[in-house]
Amino acid sequence: MIPFTEIIWDLVTWTPFLAGGFAMNILISLVAMTIGTSLGWIIANMRLATSPRTYRASLYLTEITRNIPTFVFLFYLAFMLPGEFTVPFTASIVGFPSWLKASLALSIAVIGFCSDNLSPAIREWRKGDHGVALLFIPSWTSYALIIVMASSTASVIGVSELVSRCNTVINATGKTQIMLPVYLYACVFFVGFCYPLNILMKHLKSVIGRRLRETAYRGTPSVSSISGG
Amino acid sequence: MLAVAGGQPAADGQFPHRPIRLAAAEAATSPASTTTPAPTKAGSGDAKAAPPAAAQPPGEGTTRRSERLALIKRRGTLLAGIKTDYPPFGTVNESGVPIGFEHDLAEDIARRIGVTLTRVPVSSANRLQKLEEGAIDLVIATQGDTAERRKIATQIEPNYYSSGVTLFVPPDSQLRDWSDVRGQKVCATQGAYFNREMARRYLLDLQMFGNARDAKLAVRDKRCVGYMFDNTALAADVLRPEWAGYKMPLAVSLVTPWSIAIGRGEDKTDFEALVSDAVADWHRTGFLIEREKAWGLQPSKFLQDMRVRWTQKSPDGQFVCRRFADGSITPECRNPIFLSAADASGLRRFGLQIKDLTGIDLTILYDDYDRSAYFSGLLITLLLTVLCIGGSLAVGVLGALAAERKAALLRRATLLVSVCGRMTPPLLQIYLVLVGVGSLLAGLGITLSPLVVVVACLSYYTGSSVMVAMLEAAGVRRRTVPDYRITLRTLREIVPNSSGPVVAALVNVSKATMMGSAVAVPELLSAATSIVSDHGNVGVVMNALLLTFLLLIFVVVRMLGKLERTLVREAAK
Repeated sequence: MIPFTEIIWDLVTWTPFLAGGFAMNILISLVAMTIGTSLGWIIANMRLATSPRTYRASLYLTEITRNIPTFVFLFYLAFMLPGEFTVPFTASIVGFPSWLKASLALSIAVIGFCSDNLSPAIREWRKGDHGVALLFIPSWTSYALIIVMASSTASVIGVSELVSRCNTVINATGKTQIMLPVYLYACVFFVGFCYPLNILMKHLKSVIGRRLRETAYRGTPSVSSISGG
Repeated sequence: MLAVAGGQPAADGQFPHRPIRLAAAEAATSPASTTTPAPTKAGSGDAKAAPPAAAQPPGEGTTRRSERLALIKRRGTLLAGIKTDYPPFGTVNESGVPIGFEHDLAEDIARRIGVTLTRVPVSSANRLQKLEEGAIDLVIATQGDTAERRKIATQIEPNYYSSGVTLFVPPDSQLRDWSDVRGQKVCATQGAYFNREMARRYLLDLQMFGNARDAKLAVRDKRCVGYMFDNTALAADVLRPEWAGYKMPLAVSLVTPWSIAIGRGEDKTDFEALVSDAVADWHRTGFLIEREKAWGLQPSKFLQDMRVRWTQKSPDGQFVCRRFADGSITPECRNPIFLSAADASGLRRFGLQIKDLTGIDLTILYDDYDRSAYFSGLLITLLLTVLCIGGSLAVGVLGALAAERKAALLRRATLLVSVCGRMTPPLLQIYLVLVGVGSLLAGLGITLSPLVVVVACLSYYTGSSVMVAMLEAAGVRRRTVPDYRITLRTLREIVPNSSGPVVAALVNVSKATMMGSAVAVPELLSAATSIVSDHGNVGVVMNALLLTFLLLIFVVVRMLGKLERTLVREAAK
């Protein structure tokens, strides 16, 4: 049995490596949120359009993005998109990193979320009800946290993020005893990052709510169209 | 003498034409000096291997008499082209005597003909050329059975061995499956024909090296997880003391069967029949498996599968796989890559026609093995979906009941557990339990079932969200009924306010069941990736997979929606 202190020391030694992996999770999530929010914003606007054809199209698009399982889509993109591509009209070849494929896969879920939540927010904003529209911000952030957790699935296509780096550490040290501690340590990263932000968003939400002197219950952001994984 | 006939490894490839003829001529006159008597060397499986062609006598008039076979018998020796530079298949021992797996096979064929064996060293470059020239009677030299080679020689079916691509890894490597290598750095040698295809099928990050030596040193220095190369070439490396402990744990991929070749004109002759029956016999008696083991080769799945297939009997007591009077072999037992639409029937024929016309390889439709793998994957996915939905609901309801109890400690503990459940990625939870906790339990002799762990973790993750939704709905309820508390009896009162987020959570968990593939639960995604690795039909399988899941999610959404409406209506009564 390896002494407790040795395991702690191992974890400390590998902390920069693991933290780098978590930074990758954040990067994947931020890119996914950016792409997803931009496209979701377009669809949300389509939902408010007066043209019935545009409106119907927006509903179909939202329905599709809601139903695509991101985990399978991740595999789909990993297999179907090339590892590198030639930039059109130039001769330069650009690599298509796996982490970007992961971001793209996750952004599908973000599109659905934004379409559902942005369109009422935009409507309120246009009515001049800016306060209610602002409620979108805490919902968006809570959703981003779900995406951070879902970004761990990128490990299955070999992206070197936190969960995948846990497996690397286990293989590199070759110690069976480190398996449980290293995974628990990874949990600390996720809980340590998500929990405070979640509390903060709840607080922000109640502050906005109080400002609006809302009497009717509005509830937290509904459990969104992604599994968190 | 013997050294001339078969013992000079250096001569392989540049071996001048005339000396072979000379050696052959000498061999013909003094057979005893050129070869060891076959029966003593051929191994234990050989005893049972006796009457070779008797089981399936070539039909009268349908197989021609071979001039070549007659010549071999007149000459009294079989001139076999074998390698001497490819251990352990064909090599030389310390005293320069040619030995190896394929030498044993050649000896057995000579014995069956009733002549002695003369070994003619050949290389990959000249083996079929020498056969064409008539310098040798037969080639048994690690030769892959390909369509091009079928045009220049008669390739004997059944195939006797196979090679493919595997990974050479350090002793401490934990890799067990190609899916463990996804996205990892893998060393490879430039110019190997399989590099591109392997990278495509298994999503590998290839690091190229100029030669095998450098690539293997890079593995040793941990610059990559392993060296990807032909498994039969690597077989010699893992036997060397220098690489003691190094191993090849992954299943061999891109399998190419090997065949014995005889002259192009020997098609449908009694010579072909004799060699073909010999190979069939080797599969049936286990001779090949026994020789493979004797030469220190890793047991190959190919030989095990062939043994099962060729020993299988139909109800009337005949072998299912056999050669018919016209020389043809049962189509199902043939090398599938050489089956054309004309040889197949039914669905398979249809699938092959589509493949010939469009290049779209619908193996999940026409290939029995793939179809059943895909179908059983679908069943497991359905099972996972049902279990996860049920589990999440159970965890959510139990959690909500516990959190609404008066005991403050229980309430706090439940809330804390639910926060942890929602804030750790389910995939991490699965690894934590299956690998982390599993490593502790392994010491006690307990093994966790991956399927159970996946269901438990996904139910915990989703159940935590279900619970929060119920508690929030309870909070809303308390605004109208101040002393409301969730119990089994009052549960229905919060159905209208919680059903939306609960159903959303349940839809999500059914999308997440594919996570099981990360820990080798044989669900649909696992089935799909393994079909891709067998056939390389990435586009077809991935599109089918996405379509199947979209359909599945659509059905789940409809059913849960219906259930939700019913419950809300019931609750309203």
